[in-house]
Amino acid sequence: MTRWSPAEMMVVAASREIADDEVVVVGLGLPQIAALLAKLTHAPGAALALEIGVFGACSTQSSAGIADPRMWEGAGAFSGMIDVLGYLLHGGRVTLGILGALQVDEAGSINSSLVVKDDGTVRRFRGSGGSNDVASLAGRVMVVMRHDPRKFRRCVDFLTSPGRLVDGGARSAAGLPGLGTATVVTDLAVLDVLDSGLALRSVHAGVDVDAVVAGTPVPLATSGARETAAPTDEELRLIREELDPHRWYTA
Amino acid sequence: MPGKVSSLAEAVARVEDGSLVAFGGFAITRCVVAAAHELVRAGKRDLELVQVVGGLDTDLLAGGGCLRKLVFSSGSLDRFGPLPCVNRGILDETIEAEEYSSLSLTLRLHAAALGLPFVPARSMLGSQLLTKLLDGAAGVRLERDPFTGTPVVALAPLRPDVAFVHVDVADENGNSQIGGPTWSNREAAFAARTLVVLAEEVVPAGSLDPDAVTIPGPFVAAVCHVPLAAYPTAAVGRYDYDRRHLELYMVAAGEGGDAYARYLDEYVYGVDSHEGYLARAGVVR
Repeated sequence: MTRWSPAEMMVVAASREIADDEVVVVGLGLPQIAALLAKLTHAPGAALALEIGVFGACSTQSSAGIADPRMWEGAGAFSGMIDVLGYLLHGGRVTLGILGALQVDEAGSINSSLVVKDDGTVRRFRGSGGSNDVASLAGRVMVVMRHDPRKFRRCVDFLTSPGRLVDGGARSAAGLPGLGTATVVTDLAVLDVLDSGLALRSVHAGVDVDAVVAGTPVPLATSGARETAAPTDEELRLIREELDPHRWYTA
Repeated sequence: MPGKVSSLAEAVARVEDGSLVAFGGFAITRCVVAAAHELVRAGKRDLELVQVVGGLDTDLLAGGGCLRKLVFSSGSLDRFGPLPCVNRGILDETIEAEEYSSLSLTLRLHAAALGLPFVPARSMLGSQLLTKLLDGAAGVRLERDPFTGTPVVALAPLRPDVAFVHVDVADENGNSQIGGPTWSNREAAFAARTLVVLAEEVVPAGSLDPDAVTIPGPFVAAVCHVPLAAYPTAAVGRYDYDRRHLELYMVAAGEGGDAYARYLDEYVYGVDSHEGYLARAGVVR
């Protein structure tokens, strides 16, 4: 047994992907917590922006989502979507985008729109919002999501946002800048997205490589996989006391 | 009545069936709930709504039977859940959905605001959003950059007939101030043929700090003084969202049918104004 929950490990592993000099556009929920954890630990210089036009918020209040003013606490600037998704992101200044996903495929293409259930009926979710913009335009993208076999697909139910490859070819040929999805961080492991597909970079403490393979029903290269460095006491304290005290995301 | 000040009922009465309407809300913040209620009460039909990220105002318009088509990128009530009436309408095909990325749709409004023939952008390339839009929407084309030859998405202007935007303070000439982030409100406001602002406060002409103006007066057709216009969603720095009323809405809207009809009877059809709704909801006496 570990002293932390799988979701806490996921947030910690994701936060460590963020470097101190990055300009980051952050999606809802877990990505937000991971980004704030990085700000409060190893990456105080990282510049965070929310698509609605919020720069530099460092809220430690639990909020109901991106549109909840609690989430904007501590912001350095308020403006609009054109400033964040246009000037900052389309303008090529964003080094990292962090997104959640309903499903991803081997190239890191993201579905955030809808799921086709076994009986053929469709369940709709939020839709793209700015996630297609982030996946299309950021220098690279990290996906943070629970490791559920239903979320790894040969072919996503709806391709909301392109990944590392577009129709199996280079992004640049399709007119897209950036690397696309470079990393998928889950509650079991850290996966790299390569031209050849998914590769296991590390498994979290207490997790078997076999369990990750069993939970990933798409080809997954496992050679060279290490163990993810464990959370520090300070990281766990920040998550539990400051970033997610109600345990909405990291229970 | 001085300047551009008008009642919301008058402003809504001028909306024709079949119009393209823009709403300024976002999920659970600064939704133009008072305008949505008034449009539902007035029995408007076949409206097309453009809203970059839909919220409670969007769902009310869908649930109230006013909506033929929704042009959007996303929508939810944040942690309170998805938009029940919108999603039901899209799945049972009573509402046509045209889905974009946030930036692409904002740029269509921006193009209309600037009077540009189109705006080129890289968003949506290689996505199914684009495939679907190329299939159906008249305003989106896959083109080649004339300078480099690389693929680019051409986004045509999208001009709302009327936009309803929530603002903090407006003066009688329409100069309006929005506190907090403005998402795509400026683009929608500048693109619309007719802009109606729902202001928490209305002040005499000339008394607003010009540095604080988000939307200059000449763009504004009507200033409606509607305190708590966004209730039960939040207005930044003024009032919080009302968790209990949002939960009550989600139960009724999630169930649909008679439960939702009862909600509309109680809070929309059963009152004649936003003040009446606020009293019914127990917010003011």
